[in-house]
Amino acid sequence: MISLPRRTFLKAAAGFAGASLFGGLSFRAFAQASNLAPADRCFVFAYFGGGWDVLLSLDPRDPAAFTAERISETRILPGYSLLSQDPTFPTAMVTPTERAGAGPSNILFGPAIGRMADHYDLMTVVRGLNMSTVAHEVGFRYFLTGKEPNGSAARGSSTATEIVGQLKPNVPVPNIAYNIETYNDRYPGYANALRVSSANDLLVTLSPSPTAIDSEIEKQLIDLRGRPVTCEADLYDSRGLVKQYNDARAQMKTVLDAQLDRNFRFEDNATDPPELRAEKAALRTRFGLRPEGTQDARNSAAARAAMVAVALRKGVSQCVSINITGGLDTHFGSQVTQATNQRLGWNALADLVTDLRSTPHPAGGHFMDHTTVLIFSEFSRTPLINAAGGRDHHITNSCMLLGAGLKHNFVFGRSGDVGLSAGVIDHDTGLPSPDGFQVLPDHIIATVLASAGLDYSITRVAPLKGLLAG
Amino acid sequence: MKRTLALTLLALAAAACSDSSPQPGPARPAELTHVDLPNHPSLTPLPDPEQNGGHTGRAPRRLTVAQLRESIATVTAGTRQWSQLNTLAASLGQADFALTNAESTEANLVFAKFLEDGAREVCLNVARDDLNRAQDARILWPELPGTGRDFTLVDDGTVQKNLATLSVRFWGSPFNADELAVWTQDFKGFAANAKRANRPEQAWGAVCIAMMTDPRFFTY
Repeated sequence: MISLPRRTFLKAAAGFAGASLFGGLSFRAFAQASNLAPADRCFVFAYFGGGWDVLLSLDPRDPAAFTAERISETRILPGYSLLSQDPTFPTAMVTPTERAGAGPSNILFGPAIGRMADHYDLMTVVRGLNMSTVAHEVGFRYFLTGKEPNGSAARGSSTATEIVGQLKPNVPVPNIAYNIETYNDRYPGYANALRVSSANDLLVTLSPSPTAIDSEIEKQLIDLRGRPVTCEADLYDSRGLVKQYNDARAQMKTVLDAQLDRNFRFEDNATDPPELRAEKAALRTRFGLRPEGTQDARNSAAARAAMVAVALRKGVSQCVSINITGGLDTHFGSQVTQATNQRLGWNALADLVTDLRSTPHPAGGHFMDHTTVLIFSEFSRTPLINAAGGRDHHITNSCMLLGAGLKHNFVFGRSGDVGLSAGVIDHDTGLPSPDGFQVLPDHIIATVLASAGLDYSITRVAPLKGLLAG
Repeated sequence: MKRTLALTLLALAAAACSDSSPQPGPARPAELTHVDLPNHPSLTPLPDPEQNGGHTGRAPRRLTVAQLRESIATVTAGTRQWSQLNTLAASLGQADFALTNAESTEANLVFAKFLEDGAREVCLNVARDDLNRAQDARILWPELPGTGRDFTLVDDGTVQKNLATLSVRFWGSPFNADELAVWTQDFKGFAANAKRANRPEQAWGAVCIAMMTDPRFFTY
């Protein structure tokens, strides 16, 4: 029997691997072979910046029962009548129109919920959530991580980072954080979010290099990079860093060849192919995008929601965290300002859900069957109106969860009818119970992770069983 | 006892540090001064892959953003820097120790994309500058005499000499003979296409881009 030294065998094996990977297949063909496909499970984290008034959306009160005369008793004033200066707002609680085949809604909303109420059949609203803070940075960092911050410093990774870290999806930019903080304290760099502060930042990543070179030289460079690796190079890379880079380059080429940036430029462009122009026209209609104004096609709430839809549908990302709307820290001014800014966000997200629930997913069903959406703010606003006509920070909050892995058309938890206090809830049923516990952001994040079968041990709490589907 | 031991160690250190060899000439830039250490044990060779889990030496690492900045400055002799490096630093993995507390040195898609963008910007700028520089001041073709812009006319020997210089500058190691021959052919293609497109800076600029985006540039 011939005995080969292990070093010789390793070299031969490395040479074979290199040749079979790059030698038999040109780099261009290799790059083209890695097609983009949407992640099987997607996540959206939508943040309403500034602290929302839950009375206007997720945790309403009947203005006929919670009157100004009963303030000393209830410590709650819905103030819906103050919205009458804008006739587009209802001045009573909103009962969604029944959706065909979905049964009537079990959820009531406040006047600023906008079109989001139409998706009652896909959502759960959590009420009576205790935020344990009325500080902006602490509140949103708590919700982003599911861990109470250290002082105001975030602890642990963002939930999106945690998800990507665990799932390792095969998409080019798995984690996007749009104008929102993101943290990574334990995962390798692949889980880091691409932080973008505007649509333009994302376009830079997806667009061809701004420095053009001659197309023939470009082709030569691609071929040069795809040359078979030597045994020495392969041994040098036995731990895979260079392979990771080469894979990333192939993926980059796929992204650039697909000209995905054109999908994120929502304006009409005569140089786009007809089918893309039609697709973008449909997107503009769905999200109500306009060249200018509150619905502008670049940086409005509607444009941000459209960006999320395209990122998920085109297989660019798995998790998108987004600051969908702001201007909610209304200590002064009128209820109309708060309601208008909230409704901008809700309507944009409603259009996103409409888009995802009507777009088929390659793995079957529609995108909303594969997507979990968490909508949150750092805290809510006081149930009484202050002397300046606004509302201050309030500790009892609500949030909305939609989509895959969760119960639908359901209200989990309850806030108190006196002073909108945090609830004590049975975590299995979601009903108020003297033997229950308060619901914290930790529980919400654990539930989001558990909804996709992920490890939620980082939150150190059990998920809310009453919220999980099945 | 301790005092005796300390004195002995001091004496040994003095003996080990004394240098009886001829004084070397003045150090040139990027050249390490040679030090003779006759009593120093020989360096431990890299472990045999057989005894190291199939790996040769330690794992290669990607440059951090700060290292990348310095590397670009070094290979361009400090004449050029990537204008977007600070803007994109967070996406390239630089930690801010407020929101991200560890430097990421993954060679992922975002790194690959932005490195390509950076290499193109830096290399073509340097190449354009070089077109107007005298030979001794050139960065990308210091071995080519004259100021000609048609690089298809340069003989293979000079091309190879220049490629060897660039490989040492960008990667810290020269080409082996086989690879040098292949890159020489590549350069001829670049030069022909650059001439056809009337973009003379793209001939050596393309070599620079290829070297800067080669793993040998950003790993160590």
